[in-house]
Formats: sequence, C-alpha cells, structure tokens
Amino acid sequence: MSGFSRRLFLHASGLAFLGLAARRLAALARPRSSDDVPWKVQQVLKQLFGDRPVQDGHVQLDVPAVAADGRVVPVMIESDLPMAPDRYVKAVHVLVDNNPDIHLAEFRLTPQIGQAFVSTRIKMRMTSPVRAVVETSDGALWGAAADVRVTVNGCG
Amino acid sequence: MSVELGAARILVPASIHRGDVIDVRALVEHPMATGLFRDAQGSPIPAHFINDVSVTYGDREAARFVWSSGISRDPFVEFPLVADREAPLTLTWKDNKGGVFTQTVDIKFVT
Repeated sequence: MSGFSRRLFLHASGLAFLGLAARRLAALARPRSSDDVPWKVQQVLKQLFGDRPVQDGHVQLDVPAVAADGRVVPVMIESDLPMAPDRYVKAVHVLVDNNPDIHLAEFRLTPQIGQAFVSTRIKMRMTSPVRAVVETSDGALWGAAADVRVTVNGCG
Repeated sequence: MSVELGAARILVPASIHRGDVIDVRALVEHPMATGLFRDAQGSPIPAHFINDVSVTYGDREAARFVWSSGISRDPFVEFPLVADREAPLTLTWKDNKGGVFTQTVDIKFVT
C-alpha cells in the first residue's frame, strides 16, 4: 500500500515537474502576447499613441531569453511592413516594463531607410517584458513583446 | 571611469552599388549615465546621456533617434540605408549636457 502510493506520488510529481519545465521553456522561447499590459505601461502607451490600439503582428523582436548582464542587452527589431514613399514605418518604439524609464527609445525612420530594422543595446533593471511598437505613416500600430530574465541590474 | 567622450565610428560596407540597401553600424563613446548610480565615494553620478541622434544622408534627414539613458554605455546602433546616391552620411549625437559629437562617411559606389 505504502509502496503503491509512493510510486503514484513519484509519478505525479515527475509529471508535474515535466509540466512546469515545459511551461517554463515555452514561456522563455515564445514571445508573450501583448494583451497583458500592466497599468503603468498602458499609461505610457496612452501618452504616446492616445487611444489607438496596438495590434499583434508584423513585428519581430529579437532579445535574449536570459541576459546575464542587465547593462548590455542586445535588441533587434524588424518589421515586414513596407518602406514605400507613400506608406512606411515612421517610428520604432522600445519599451521596458520594469525600467525606471519605461519608454526607452524611439527610432524615427523615413523611406530612405529601406527596411524597418534597428538593432541596439539597452539597459535593464530587472527581469521584465520588452516591447517593440512599430508606428506606420498612416497611424497603425503593431507590436511584439518578449520576456527577458535579467541577473545583474543595469540601471542602478 | 575614463571614457574618450564622443569618439565615434560609422561602419558601412566596403563596396556599395547604386540602389543597395546597406547596413550602417555606428558607435559613439559615451558614459550614458542614468543619474541613478553612485560613485565609489558615495556621491551620485549625475545623469549624462545622449538623447538625440540624427542621421543625415546628403541634404536630407534619413532618420532620427530619441533615446533615454536606458541605451547602454558606448551606444551602438545598426540600421539599413538605401544607397541611391553618392553623398556624405553624417551622424550627429547630442547629449543632455549640450555635448555634440559628429562623424561622417562618404557613400561612394564602386564602378
């Protein structure tokens, strides 16, 4: 009887562990949906874009899942939206939820840039979602977000 | 903390053909101090960071970056550019203390 329940327990805990590990891996690898936006970030978005909604898609955000040093976190943002003279990506915004300054940077582009792509290195205070919002010349907003785990504070 | 303030580099491909979308990489040496850190003596290090970068290609502005102190020290940026004419490419970095740093490369086509 005790052997049976022990075995059952081990099986159950093993499954639970696997489940957790899988969820963790998925959370690290997969970009998060930009639906769950904290209130403080919503305020910043409202200030930047008013009531215009940020839709998911058209933006690829490349950040490391784990950043050993929060002082230097590489960020790459790319969009497949056109850079034609009449319709182009006019700005790429970078936001970090848990930084002292949430709206970290804005890259204003023109059709001369040819392709909506920017790459830079940012500071992160702690583990946080990183968000990229792309604004087109006709006012549409597209976004992507990903979680970055930070082990060394880069902001003070 | 000794930084050669404002030393800047722009890297473009060695051979460019008319109409190429080239990769521009630029780096400027700057402390990008947030104002949130203290030095070894415990006195606060005042905020000192680049907040405005303009990219001028020929006589037109091709891009403009608005930064906070959240960009890493010795800020690096990479972006594409449609090389459709032979003209100088100039980047101008401005910081919150009035410092202005500039660097130019000539976009020339191979024949």
